[in-house]
Amino acid sequence: MPAPALEPRGSTLEDEIVGLFDLLREPLLRYLASLGLPMADGEEIVQEVFLSLFQHLRRGGDRTNLRGWVFRVAHNLGLKRRSKTSRLSTVAWEWLCDPAPGPEEQFFQSEIARRVRAVLRALPEQDRRCLMLRAEGLRYREIAGTLAMSLGAVSMSLARSLARVARAADR
Amino acid sequence: MRHLSDEELLMAPDGDRHLMECEACRGRKRELEDAVELVREHREVVDPIFSAGVARARLRAAMAEAAAAPAGETLWWRPWQAAAVGALALVCTLAIVSRAHRRYDVPSPRLTPGAARAVDRNALCNSELPKNQVVPADLRERVFQAYGIAHADPRKYEVDYLITPALGGADDIRNLWPQPYVSTVWNARVKDELEDRLREMVCGGRLDLAEAQREISTDWIAAYKKYFGTERPGR
Repeated sequence: MPAPALEPRGSTLEDEIVGLFDLLREPLLRYLASLGLPMADGEEIVQEVFLSLFQHLRRGGDRTNLRGWVFRVAHNLGLKRRSKTSRLSTVAWEWLCDPAPGPEEQFFQSEIARRVRAVLRALPEQDRRCLMLRAEGLRYREIAGTLAMSLGAVSMSLARSLARVARAADR
Repeated sequence: MRHLSDEELLMAPDGDRHLMECEACRGRKRELEDAVELVREHREVVDPIFSAGVARARLRAAMAEAAAAPAGETLWWRPWQAAAVGALALVCTLAIVSRAHRRYDVPSPRLTPGAARAVDRNALCNSELPKNQVVPADLRERVFQAYGIAHADPRKYEVDYLITPALGGADDIRNLWPQPYVSTVWNARVKDELEDRLREMVCGGRLDLAEAQREISTDWIAAYKKYFGTERPGR
């Protein structure tokens, strides 16, 4: 997947932020859903993240790696929101936990898709977070920054998870 | 030759000498990279609440509000200023509460930023027009509470959708506000006219659905003026 242009410069700071928002809103919503947050919470958090980014840049904050910055703030706000509320998204929770998809879903899902999802469900939470961030195109350093892990821990986690996914696909 | 571990393979740069020389390692690295693709392919499909246009408009409105405040200023390190603002906020709150019959020609962007379902134009225009959709009583009550209207008279207000369901608006408290029927120029019946006009334009292919949602949710009065070519309704 080609890396998107991540730092578009609009005519104003607002345009620049909106450009980034257009690029990253869906990946962020997907990541927040994978944390088990309802979509409405995800939407609120994404708005909050980009408003914080706006404030950060207005104050002359660091511009290096804005994608990493955005994911890190979203991750922290997502966990904070999750700890405040016990309700998890029905959709996300089913996706993570339902061990037996219904007949209709079985019909539409390929065998590989089911195996991959089964692996994702079975991963420890931190490994799944690393993997989902990697799938969103984040570099190892960005994942490490987002999850407050060392680079070595990220590569170990990804090596473990990807080996399991590769085995599942190969079976 | 010792092969690289999965971890080393993931961290190895493209021009790594061992990788160049070891076909088995290159094959394994490809397998791991394909596994990332598999995850990407089979990860969850999200169904956002807001259309891209509405989400963008919300962000722009929030940034405009934030830009009105000086950058980088915080109150917590200036106690006297915080106290002054606190006192002012208290006075404002009391004033709002006492105005039980306050009129809301336009909704509060904070309480009612608008919310839309993920629906495309064809699906929307080919579906039956949702007429007089009734807002459930408990939701209506929550809207009045949010706006600080005690003992609301149902003859005076319509709890209205900011983005009408006929334009993909969602059943969500963030898309509802108490709009007065009468006594103001810009009342619920005037907004109904605008909603009909916008739907007609969207379904006629003369206006983008996201744009219609954005305009009605950011400033419906300005949208009325624009699409009816008049400064006041009924002229």
